[in-house]
Amino acid sequence: MESITLPLLSITTFLPLLGTLVILLVKPDKPRTTYRIGIGASTLAVVTSLGIWLRGVGSSFNQIEQLEWIPSLGIAYRMGIDGISFPLVLLTTVLFLTALIYSAKIEKRANSYVMLFLLLETACLGVFMALDLFLFYVFFEVTLVGMYFIIAEWGHENSKQAALTFFLYTLLGSLFLLLAFLSLYLHSDPLTFDMRALIANPPLTGLAAALTFWGLFVAFAIKTPLVPVHTWLPAAHTEAPAAGSAILAGVLLKLGAYGFIRFSLQMTPDAFQQFAPYVIVISVITALYGALVALAQTDIKRMVAYTSVNHMGYMVFGVAAAAALGKGAETSALDGATLQMISHGVVTGLLFLLVGALQDRTQTREMTEISGLLKTYPVLSGLFIVAAFASLGLPGLAHFPAEFQIFLGGFSAYPVATGFIILGLLITTGLYLRAIQSVFMGNPEKEIDSKGDLDARELWATVPLIAAIFIIGIYPDLLLSIIHATTELIGF
Amino acid sequence: MPQIAVLLTAIGSLIAEMMGKPRGSLWTLIIGMLAATGVAISKIGTITTAFSNTFRVDYLSLWAVIILSITNIFIAVLARSELKNTYREGTVYSLLVFSLLGALIMTGAGDIMFVVLGILISTLAGTALIAYNKTDPATEGAFKYYIYGSVTGAVMLFGLTFWVGIIGSTYLSALNNPELSSLAVIFGFITLLIGIGYAGSLVPFHFWTPDAFEASPVSIAAYLSVVPKVGAIFALAQVARELPVEMLNWPLLLGVIAVLSMTFGNVVALWQDNIVRLLAYSTIAQAGYFLLGVVAIQQNQLAVNALVVFGIAYAVMNVGAFAIVQSCGTQLKDFNGWAKQKPWQAVGMTIFLLSLVGVPPLAGFAGKFLLFGAALDGGYTWLAVAAIINSVISLAVYLRIIVPTYFNEPKPEPIQSTKPGIRLVWISTFVLTIAVGLGLQWFLV
Repeated sequence: MESITLPLLSITTFLPLLGTLVILLVKPDKPRTTYRIGIGASTLAVVTSLGIWLRGVGSSFNQIEQLEWIPSLGIAYRMGIDGISFPLVLLTTVLFLTALIYSAKIEKRANSYVMLFLLLETACLGVFMALDLFLFYVFFEVTLVGMYFIIAEWGHENSKQAALTFFLYTLLGSLFLLLAFLSLYLHSDPLTFDMRALIANPPLTGLAAALTFWGLFVAFAIKTPLVPVHTWLPAAHTEAPAAGSAILAGVLLKLGAYGFIRFSLQMTPDAFQQFAPYVIVISVITALYGALVALAQTDIKRMVAYTSVNHMGYMVFGVAAAAALGKGAETSALDGATLQMISHGVVTGLLFLLVGALQDRTQTREMTEISGLLKTYPVLSGLFIVAAFASLGLPGLAHFPAEFQIFLGGFSAYPVATGFIILGLLITTGLYLRAIQSVFMGNPEKEIDSKGDLDARELWATVPLIAAIFIIGIYPDLLLSIIHATTELIGF
Repeated sequence: MPQIAVLLTAIGSLIAEMMGKPRGSLWTLIIGMLAATGVAISKIGTITTAFSNTFRVDYLSLWAVIILSITNIFIAVLARSELKNTYREGTVYSLLVFSLLGALIMTGAGDIMFVVLGILISTLAGTALIAYNKTDPATEGAFKYYIYGSVTGAVMLFGLTFWVGIIGSTYLSALNNPELSSLAVIFGFITLLIGIGYAGSLVPFHFWTPDAFEASPVSIAAYLSVVPKVGAIFALAQVARELPVEMLNWPLLLGVIAVLSMTFGNVVALWQDNIVRLLAYSTIAQAGYFLLGVVAIQQNQLAVNALVVFGIAYAVMNVGAFAIVQSCGTQLKDFNGWAKQKPWQAVGMTIFLLSLVGVPPLAGFAGKFLLFGAALDGGYTWLAVAAIINSVISLAVYLRIIVPTYFNEPKPEPIQSTKPGIRLVWISTFVLTIAVGLGLQWFLV
């Protein structure tokens, strides 16, 4: 029994692309008009993604939309969501909207900028909703191209170099992903790229499974990133424009994290269980290394970038713990890891936007050169301090419920490793407190007041994210109930 | 037989040139090529042989007609923009068709002699085309092409006599016989590989490529990069189909050549400042990817699909890139700030180059996707891994063009309007580069 329903998933995905086409056709000569179109398209995407929520997310893949594409190869246009992908869809639409609002001051080639942003949004949404390996890969690669140009053209001093590193590094990762996908396809019976079939019936065993697992691992480890393949991240995050960094950290890193759950965990579960100890070790090193290196930074944007590495370490730790525990165990590790993706997206996205606002005013990112900002810009500083507290895991704010569950789940699998990784929390607490002390406390050294405190545009971009931090922190069940329904169903 | 249409076209455009009507020669080419394409499309799906089993009409050879005939139209239009009103302009069109005929004869070879004949026809016509500019470098380039061609051709012919000697016939299908002396088969295959490697510019038989490309008119470089190469690779596939693996581990040999070609082409391209030379090295690398399909040809149907789709993709993206080079200039510095002068052409060039890297959803990705799939399915995981690492290097190569296009300041010279012929070609190939990627289904068996 099929009834014709509105393909909300496709509409959400391609609305931003439609915005691109409108800009292309209208060719607005004022940046203001361009941003209106861009913000309009991404607002509509937020609305339709809320519509998806209202329809009911459910525990297994649903709201499926399917069209023939390349039937000879078992490839089709398949879209759908479940409790793991939907929160990421919501995160993506919200973050892109706030990033575009924040960007509205950029007048340099505004048309191209907004078009690239919208293209990137379509690609990111497509990645999270695709239920076909081929389709997933197409969207996955398009994100690289879009981000490359955003970093290179609108970034800071060494942006071209950073963009090049980013592109080469992540292309290497995604080509390993392609091979892993082909391997999954070639072992499936009947041959298909349908992710539902591959999840329901993981096709690989033995050596092929191991190779495919490590292929996926390399791809997602570069994207997430994990130590030692994280070296593209600090440069890319630091050199990108503020909104670009927010998207890069908030959404693009989640592509890797999501991949760990969707592919490594769901399509090669046995291999993941077998190799979980290695992944655990790598993720503990990543979390501690990220925290320690962040501690050593004097550039505030670089510091935030390295805390991303630290948080992604926790996230992957949660997934690996879930894999090690196997099916039927407590789901808290995976619940936490999924929630961590969302909370990290919101918190770090916000931090990068605020760092951008800070840099606009002080003209520097060196923490040693700034002090007493709380007196000069109370609103900006206040918001930053809240976001920093969220990032270090203060209860009541977004990261706490996520990390708590990760460590809870991790403790039953690897108590010793959990003991080590918790040290990361201590270090991040220290580094944020130190940054707050040196940048925001004390007295301003010199009067810098060419600009006032946060203006309306910046407030529109940041306040919704602050609200999200409190909502997730105080009432995590809003998202956790969706996530948990799915994790319980898939058994991890 | 579409090949007969091609032969008639060659003669027709030669006659038009002799009457002093280069325009007529061009139109003869366009109409003839469209006719050949039409015949080939109507025959797709038939598998048969002609000329007493010496010529195969199959999926590969029919698609070769379609790909290469349409490519030839694009190239002729480019050549018209570049060489209009030069002395003996019409001969170019006639030679293009003759050379195409050589390539087509190879792609359907069911007989050893057809491989040889095809390479020779294509080489002779190619030599004349390279020398068209009548400058010293053009003569040098043509000489290199000719001498390499005659030496490798002679070696190949010598080696192939062994095949004829042991199998007692010139049919390729007769090779598939386990009772043959393996030494003679190996010797024959290696010499054949030398001949084909020359035509397809595979390492280590590629040395003519950069010089010949640089010296030729840009449109002819575009032609050299596509027509003889696709012909040679398809011909190799026709031979490899019949070769028993037990006798000679030819997939390994081809795999090694593939890795060498990819790596050499991409790495050397990193240092080129002349775009035509850069693209010449890139075609050497692309030929390496192409070989992945030949390596797996006996194992799966995916390989045949991969050869055809990559052939289409390679032709459109390469011709497109050369068209932009013809419009912009052959030096890397000509591309400085191109995006500010001709934003659409800059987008076009970016799409062609990203397609060469293999970024989805473009044509080049569809081709590489199938090639990698064929290699993995055939059990050549190492080859697929080498190919993806090379794709990353190739991105660095192509970004050397993309970066100045967008991020450098343009030269102060006034912008010239693009010739309509070039515009026609780059826009058509641009649309095809995207359409082939999205409409992959139409090109599969």
